[in-house]
Amino acid sequence: MIKVNHLKKSFGKNEVLKDINEEFNQGEVVVVIGPSGSGKSTFLRCLNLLEEPTEGEIVFEGTTLTGLKEKDLNQLRQKMGMVFQQFNLFPHKTAKENLTIAPIKSKGTSQNEADQKAVQLLRQVGLGDKEDAYPASLSGGQQQRVAIARALAMDPDVMLFDEPTSALDPEMVGEVLKVMKDLAQSGMTMVVVTHEMGFAREVADRVLFMDDGLIVEQGTPDAIFSAPKHARTQDFLSKVL
Amino acid sequence: MKKSIKGIIALLILMSTFMIPGTSASAEDGSALQRVQDAGVLVVGTSADFPPFEFYAVVDGERQVVGMDMMIAQKIADDLGVELQIEDIGFDSLLPALEARNVDVIIAGMTPTAERRRSVDFSDIYFQTFQNVMVRAEDEEVYPTIESLSGLTVGVQTGSLQESLAEQIPDAEVMSLTDLNDLLLALKTNRIEAIVMQGPNAEAHAGNDPDLHTFVGDFELDGDDEGSAIAFRQGEDSLVEAVNESLAEIAEQNLTDDYLATAGEYMAQEAGDDGFVASYWEYFWDGTLITLLISALGVIFGLIIGSLLALMRLSKQVLVRFPATAYVEFVRGTPLLIQVMFIYFASGMFFNLPALIAGIIAVSLNSGAYIAEIIRGGINSVNKGQDEAARSLGMSKKQTMRHIVFPQALKNIWPALGNEFITIIKESSIVSVIGVGELIFQTRVVRSISFQGILPLFVTMLIYFVLTYTLTKLLNFYEGRMNHD
Repeated sequence: MIKVNHLKKSFGKNEVLKDINEEFNQGEVVVVIGPSGSGKSTFLRCLNLLEEPTEGEIVFEGTTLTGLKEKDLNQLRQKMGMVFQQFNLFPHKTAKENLTIAPIKSKGTSQNEADQKAVQLLRQVGLGDKEDAYPASLSGGQQQRVAIARALAMDPDVMLFDEPTSALDPEMVGEVLKVMKDLAQSGMTMVVVTHEMGFAREVADRVLFMDDGLIVEQGTPDAIFSAPKHARTQDFLSKVL
Repeated sequence: MKKSIKGIIALLILMSTFMIPGTSASAEDGSALQRVQDAGVLVVGTSADFPPFEFYAVVDGERQVVGMDMMIAQKIADDLGVELQIEDIGFDSLLPALEARNVDVIIAGMTPTAERRRSVDFSDIYFQTFQNVMVRAEDEEVYPTIESLSGLTVGVQTGSLQESLAEQIPDAEVMSLTDLNDLLLALKTNRIEAIVMQGPNAEAHAGNDPDLHTFVGDFELDGDDEGSAIAFRQGEDSLVEAVNESLAEIAEQNLTDDYLATAGEYMAQEAGDDGFVASYWEYFWDGTLITLLISALGVIFGLIIGSLLALMRLSKQVLVRFPATAYVEFVRGTPLLIQVMFIYFASGMFFNLPALIAGIIAVSLNSGAYIAEIIRGGINSVNKGQDEAARSLGMSKKQTMRHIVFPQALKNIWPALGNEFITIIKESSIVSVIGVGELIFQTRVVRSISFQGILPLFVTMLIYFVLTYTLTKLLNFYEGRMNHD
């Protein structure tokens, strides 16, 4: 579904991603782990071109995204939902409006249809009673669940999660992971950058370990967590587990 | 101050002349008369703070500029077979307005001094006048002659004949102000000891104000300096000749006496004793409406221009960014006063832009530059994550700006925008220099016809405060409604 060929990304002289080749398949849940600064967030943000790759190409559903015209890129981004560490809800819009603005403006969905879908999605993430609430009146966990619902409102083929629980108070992490777990079970293709090793072990089909701009090791959760081959993986896991 | 403004106006006019040489102002056209008659209207510039020659009065329920000069203007227009249109402009700005073709002639009790003759032509003298000295009534005995004023501070109107006459008072320190009413106020508040004023005008004021006393000063006058004449652009001899014929008729029939008598009646009527507010509220009301109109349009157009400039300044393209940056820097780096004059006088070279429109354009262009910076700051203040979230949902750059970033920027900049609106309400008073009848201008009018120096200022101050305070409250209300935190 997503194919990454020779992806490189530098910020100035700082080379953050060094030649990454990877493929994500339909229905697969892939969790990306690794120490801070290893380039995993940048990698994720390159997938929908929020970061412009310095070199290499991203192919999504058969179309090469890199070098694509603005308008076509917008079309394809509709199919790639993204959830951010800082939620990034639109503070001047209610929960429901956060879900309806993009379908109405960029897909031309009718208000009525968008509203119905929004209500249903908010219910799905357990926030059926919050449709008229503004983000500022919601807790972090609730905001992140609205953000997930917002991405789902575009009917994406894949969901990208950029450390979705890192900014949350510990007691709120569970409710967000639960929503993500349900989503995984429904068959959604997911790429998740996270520090939640429990989630990785339980939900992931495949775990990628990144360090220093490279995918150092990958495999099933069992393989990675129980029998890491690479010294850097072992070192990292010994610190976080 | 006076010199520099005049210099800048001259420079602007020179610049505009170079821009389109074909329409140069001082064209040697023998058909000036034909041009006026073709247009069907004679545009007369005056400065209506000079009773009994030109001042405001209510005629048939409508406020207009009346006085001896205006009756002469009407007679001339009738003789030419055209309509009369009067443009009330500050005395200082009359000559530039004539040269910039904003008006056809100047009839403003203007004395044809040698200095003025260098830049404009004059008609025959239509009114022989004399020069007075105005002092406080209590000083009647102290200052009986111009010699008694030696070494003291004497006030004159900027750019007037009296400015040069005052130099005949030995060692006098001359203070020059644009507005006669300010001079009278300065006299009454002991800032100056006397004013050199045109005779009939001085008598009109002294006759209406028991605190003032005036006497004829024995100044040495050039032959040319004794009297008022009508000013024309150089080379428009056909028009001068036609006007001189009308003036000759006026002199023959001694019409000026009748005109002065009529003007006296208007003055008595305007200085009515209905109480200050009852007599003059209409002036303040009209001024307030115009001030609000200019400010509101200034903010609306300023917002449009400012948004555009802000977006240009945020562009990645240097060719788009540079003009916007240059515009903002230039407009913010020059005074609004000059911008207003530039647009009014420079436009006069090419087409007749009404002063009000010129004023609104100038204020809009000016506020656009300031609002651009406010909006740019507002857009930059919106978290980058907002843009990323919207773009990740497939919204285009334009949709993101319009639906996500801009509304939040607007909320952030609301207080600054409110301040800008309030600033514009106050700054728009500058357009009074080109004769737009906003609040400050009307205050000047009231001061000249009511013979009151301070009270109109106080009323105007109150009006400005009520306007800005109400606006502040209104803005706070809407700010509260936008707040979802």
